[in-house]
Amino acid sequence: MPLTRESIVEGLQRIVGPEDVITDEHILVQSSVDNFRKLQNIFDVHTMPVPAAIVMARSTARVAEILRFADEHGVNVIPRTGATATEGGLESAAPDSVIIDGSAMNEILHIDAYNMQATAQCGVPLQVLEDRVRELGLTTGHSPQSKPVAHMGGLVATRSIGQFSTLYGGIEDMVVGLEAVFPGGQVTRIKNVPRRAAGPDIRHVVVGNEGALCFITEVTVKLFPYFPENNTFLGWTLKDMATGFAALRAVMVSGHKPSVARVYDPGDAGIHFSHFAAPDDCVLLFMAEGPAGIAKATAEGIAAVVAGFPECKPVESAYIETWFNDLCWDASKIIAEDERIRQTRNVNRTTEISADWSSINDIYQAAKARIIVEIPDITMMGGHSSHSYINGTNMYFNYFFNVVDVGPEEETDKYYLPIIGIICEETLRLGGSIVHHHGMGKARAPWVKDEYGSSYYILETLKHAFDPNGIMNKGTIIPK
Amino acid sequence: MSSLRILVSFKVTPDFEALREADWLAGAEDDAAEDAAHGVETRYVRRVLNCFDESALEMALRLADARAQRGSATSLGALSVGGKETEPYLKTLLALGYERAARVEPEAALDFAPAVVASLIAGYVRQVDHSDLLLLGCRSGPGDSGTVPFLLAEALGWPCLTQVLEVEPLPDDRVRVACLVDDGLRRVTLRLPCVLAVGNAVVSQLRVPTLTDRLARKHAPIDVLSGADLGVDIAGDLRRETCVLTGLETIDRARRGVIVGGATPAAKAHALFAAHLKDLVEKL
Amino acid sequence: MRFAAILDGTTGAAARQAQALDGFLREGLSGDLAGETLVFYQDDRDKTRLVESAPTRAVRLIKTTVRRPERLVEVLAAVARDEEISLFLFAGGPAGTELATRLAHRAGGAVLTDALSIAAGTGHLLCRKNTYSAHLVGRFELSGGPSCVTIDASWNDGPKPELAEHDVLSDTDETGGPDGAPFEDVELVDLPSSGDLAEGRFLVVAGYGAGNREGVERISKAARRMGAAFGVSRPVAMNAWAPMDRLLGVSGTRAAPDLCIVVGASGAPAFYWGIEKAAFIVALDTDEHAPIVRNADAVVIDDGVAIIEELAQIIAAASERD
Repeated sequence: MPLTRESIVEGLQRIVGPEDVITDEHILVQSSVDNFRKLQNIFDVHTMPVPAAIVMARSTARVAEILRFADEHGVNVIPRTGATATEGGLESAAPDSVIIDGSAMNEILHIDAYNMQATAQCGVPLQVLEDRVRELGLTTGHSPQSKPVAHMGGLVATRSIGQFSTLYGGIEDMVVGLEAVFPGGQVTRIKNVPRRAAGPDIRHVVVGNEGALCFITEVTVKLFPYFPENNTFLGWTLKDMATGFAALRAVMVSGHKPSVARVYDPGDAGIHFSHFAAPDDCVLLFMAEGPAGIAKATAEGIAAVVAGFPECKPVESAYIETWFNDLCWDASKIIAEDERIRQTRNVNRTTEISADWSSINDIYQAAKARIIVEIPDITMMGGHSSHSYINGTNMYFNYFFNVVDVGPEEETDKYYLPIIGIICEETLRLGGSIVHHHGMGKARAPWVKDEYGSSYYILETLKHAFDPNGIMNKGTIIPK
Repeated sequence: MSSLRILVSFKVTPDFEALREADWLAGAEDDAAEDAAHGVETRYVRRVLNCFDESALEMALRLADARAQRGSATSLGALSVGGKETEPYLKTLLALGYERAARVEPEAALDFAPAVVASLIAGYVRQVDHSDLLLLGCRSGPGDSGTVPFLLAEALGWPCLTQVLEVEPLPDDRVRVACLVDDGLRRVTLRLPCVLAVGNAVVSQLRVPTLTDRLARKHAPIDVLSGADLGVDIAGDLRRETCVLTGLETIDRARRGVIVGGATPAAKAHALFAAHLKDLVEKL
Repeated sequence: MRFAAILDGTTGAAARQAQALDGFLREGLSGDLAGETLVFYQDDRDKTRLVESAPTRAVRLIKTTVRRPERLVEVLAAVARDEEISLFLFAGGPAGTELATRLAHRAGGAVLTDALSIAAGTGHLLCRKNTYSAHLVGRFELSGGPSCVTIDASWNDGPKPELAEHDVLSDTDETGGPDGAPFEDVELVDLPSSGDLAEGRFLVVAGYGAGNREGVERISKAARRMGAAFGVSRPVAMNAWAPMDRLLGVSGTRAAPDLCIVVGASGAPAFYWGIEKAAFIVALDTDEHAPIVRNADAVVIDDGVAIIEELAQIIAAASERD
C-alpha cells in the first residue's frame, strides 16, 4: 500500500530531522517542473503532481538511508542538485514523489594539482570549482552555458558537455572516479585511476543515468593547464550550411584540435551576429587554445584549411572574441528572459542531436523544413553545430514560437513536443542520436526504444537490476 | 475616430553592458590625443534596441489594437536615424504591421548631436510622413541627454510630455496620457498632434512576428533618406554645434572591498556586524 | 558672466529643487559668475517661503497662472532676449529638461542636461555629465547664445540652504496672455514618495540576485525590521517584483545614505550611480566577480537574502537593547 504524503514526510523527518524536509507548498509546486515546463513557473500555472517533500541530504549516509526508505515503501525519488535540467528530468511524474536535493553537499574535498584531479561533492557549483582551480592556473575544461548555476552531481548525471568540448571532451572524458548510492542503500565508490580494463567500464552505468539508476554523491574530475592568454579566435561568414558543415569537417579531420568549433545557420546567426553578418549569412567560428606554440599552430592550421573554401569570408577575430566572452547564462539574463516571455508569449526552445558528417546537413534541412510547415506560430527556426568529433558533429536546433490561443501550460503539447517529435523522427530516419547532451529526461523518453534499437535490452536490464522497484525518477529515460 | 498616423522613432545602439572595463578605459584614454575621435570602441559588441524606444514601439502597436477594437484605423510608421544596423529592426516592425519604415543615413557620428537628430526626425514628420502622433523613448545612450523629444516639439510646434508611462486612445483625435512629473504622476487628456516620450513603462517588450508574417512583408520597402532629402545640412549643423564633447573620463568607484568570512550565513552576518556595522548603526 | 537659476514654485518639488540648486551653486559651479534666481509662483501665499529658499541673494518673482512649462519658457525667452544672461540653470527632472531644452532652442543657445559641474571660461562653459549609462563622464564645451543647463539629481542631497538675506528685485505679473493649454482633465496623483530613498540615512537595496518576488519581499521586510529605507535595481522594478518608485539609479532616485546594504545587485554603473554617494556600502552577493564587490567597503559572498535576514535580527536586537 503506498504511503500517504504525511507518512512520507514523517519518515523523511525521522531520517534527516524536520529542518531538512521542505514541505512549503509554494516551493513544492515550483519544484514540480524544471526548464522543460518552465512556463508553468513563469506564469504560475501548475499542472504536474506536487511532490510530497524536498529532502536536503547532507551526507552520503543520509542519501543511503533515504533511498532505502523510498525503496522499501515504493516512493518515487528525483535526485537533484543545481536544478538546471531542461528535459523534464526533474519533473515529478508520479504523485507524492520526493526530491532528494544534494545541493547542501557542497564541499570541494580535494584539489590535487600533481595528479591533476579534483574531487567535489555533488552539490558543488561548477563555477565555484572552476574558480578555485583557476587560482592554481588550472581549469576543469568544462564550460556549459549553465556553468554559473549547475552543480557537479547533475552535470555528471546528464552527460553534460561544455563549450570547449572539442578539445577537452564531454563530462564522460573528464570523470575519473565517483561515488554513487543505489536504491537499496548500497554505497559504491569507483576509485581514481587514469585507466582500467578490469571488465566493462562501470563508470558509464552512472555517468548519464539521469537519476534513473542511482544518486551521485561525489565526483572526481581531471584538471588541465589553463592558458587563457593564448586563446585565439577565428571567424568567417558564408552563405550555406552544407558548406559550413563541410568546412567544419575539414578542420576536424585535418589533425588540428580547436577547443571551439561552430557553424551557425542564418536564423541563429541573426540572433548573435547581426552586427557583422548579413541576414542570409551563416557564421563559422573556431577557438584555439593551449600552450602558445600549440594555440598558434592550431589557429594557423585551421585558417589554412578554411582557406580551401573560398565561399568563406573571414571576419575580424575581435567580433568572435567579444561575443564569446558574453556567452554564459547569468541570473540577470535568465530573469530578463522570463519577463520577455511573460510580456510577449514568445518562447525560445532548443533540441540537440548528433549524427555523422554524411547525415548532419540532411537532418538539419529536413527537420527545419518540416517544422516551418507543420508547426504554427513559429517566429524563428534555426540552429548551430557546436560540438564536433572526428566522425561527426551535433546540431543544436534553436527555435522560437508565439504561444497563441492556449494557456502557457499547454505550450509543451501544442508546440514543443511536436517539434521535438519532428526532430527525433528525422534524426532517427537518418541514423543519428536524438539526444546529444541535454539528457533524455522525460521529454524524449517516448523515443527511447527507437534510439537504442536492439541495445535497448542492455538499458532495460540495467534499470531492472538496479531499480527493481521502479523508484528512481519514474518516467526519465524509460517512459512510465 | 478617423485614421490616425502614428510615427515611432527608435534608436539602435551597441549593447553598452556587454563592453568590458578595458574597453571603457581605452575609450577614456583615446581622447588624450588632441584630434582623437571621442568615443568608445563599440564595433565588436552586438546591437540592441534602446529600451525606452522598445516600449514606445510596442505601445504604438497596442494603441492600434485598441483603436481597431473600436473600429478605427491606424497607420503605424517607424523611423530610425541610423545605418544598415537599423534594417533588421525595420524589417521586424514591417512584419508586425507597421506600414511605413524608413531610416535616415546619419553621414557622421551623431551620438552627441541631439539637435541634428531632432532636425532629421522633424524633417521626416513634416515633409514626408505627416504624422499625427510621434512616440519615442525619453532618452538614449550614449549621450543620455533626454532633449530630443523637446527639440522635436519646438521644431514641430507641438506639445510634448516626457516620462510617459501609459497612453490610451480617446475619440476625436485625443489621447489620455499618464506621465511622471517632478512631484508625482500626472494624467492628462491632450489633443493631437503631440510628441510623447516614453519612460519606465510597464510595457517594455516588443511582440515577435512569425516567419509567415515576415514572408508576407518580405518586399515591403524601407525608405532610405539623406539629410539633404529632409533639408538638413548635417555637416554644417555639426560644425555649428553649440554643445561639443571634448573628452571622456572614467569613474573610479573602487572601495576597500573587504571580504567578511564565516562558516555559516549567521556567522558571516555576525562578523559583518561586529567588524563594520555596529558603530555605524548606533549613530543612525 | 551672469547666470539665472530658475525655481518653479508652482510644483510640490520646489523645496527639494531649491536645495539642489543651492548645493550646485556652492560646489558645482566655478568661475567668474554672478547671478540671481527667477522664481515662478502661482499663489501669493507661497512667495515668502519661495524667496527664503532661493539659492541666490538676488531674487525676481514672476507670477504665473497655470502649471505649463511652455508658458514659463515664453517668459524666460523674453528674459533671454532682453538681458545678458549667459547661463540659465534648472533643477533636473522632466520639467527642468523641458524648460532648458525649449528655452535653448528659442534663445539660440546650447542645452545640457544632468550636469555634474559647470566651470565658466571666457565666452564658454565647460560642463561635465554622465554618458554611456554612467560608465563614463563626458566633458562638454558650451558656447554661442545663452546656455541652458539642468543639474544632475545627485545635487538633491545637498545641505539645506543657509542664505539669510534675499533681495527681491522685482515681482512681475505674467498671468495675462494666452494659455493655449492643450491639456484637459488634468489629474495629479501623489505618488508614494521616494523621498525616503533620496533622504534616508540607512538604505537596503534588492537586486535581481533576490531571485524572485518572494526574495525581494523578504529583503524588504528585513529592511523594515532594521529601520532602513528599501530600494531596488532596475531589473527588479521592470519585473514588477517591487513598485517603480523604489527604483534607484540613472532612471530612478539617487540616494546618499550613511549606510547602504546591497543584496544581489551586480553593481552595473547605471544602478551604482544611484547609491554611489553612500558613505559605507556593504555588498551581499554570491558572485565574487560582480563589479559591486570591488566598489563596496565590505563584502559577504553568500546568499544575500539569508544574510540580510540574519542582520535584521542582529540589528533589531541591538536597538532593542539600547
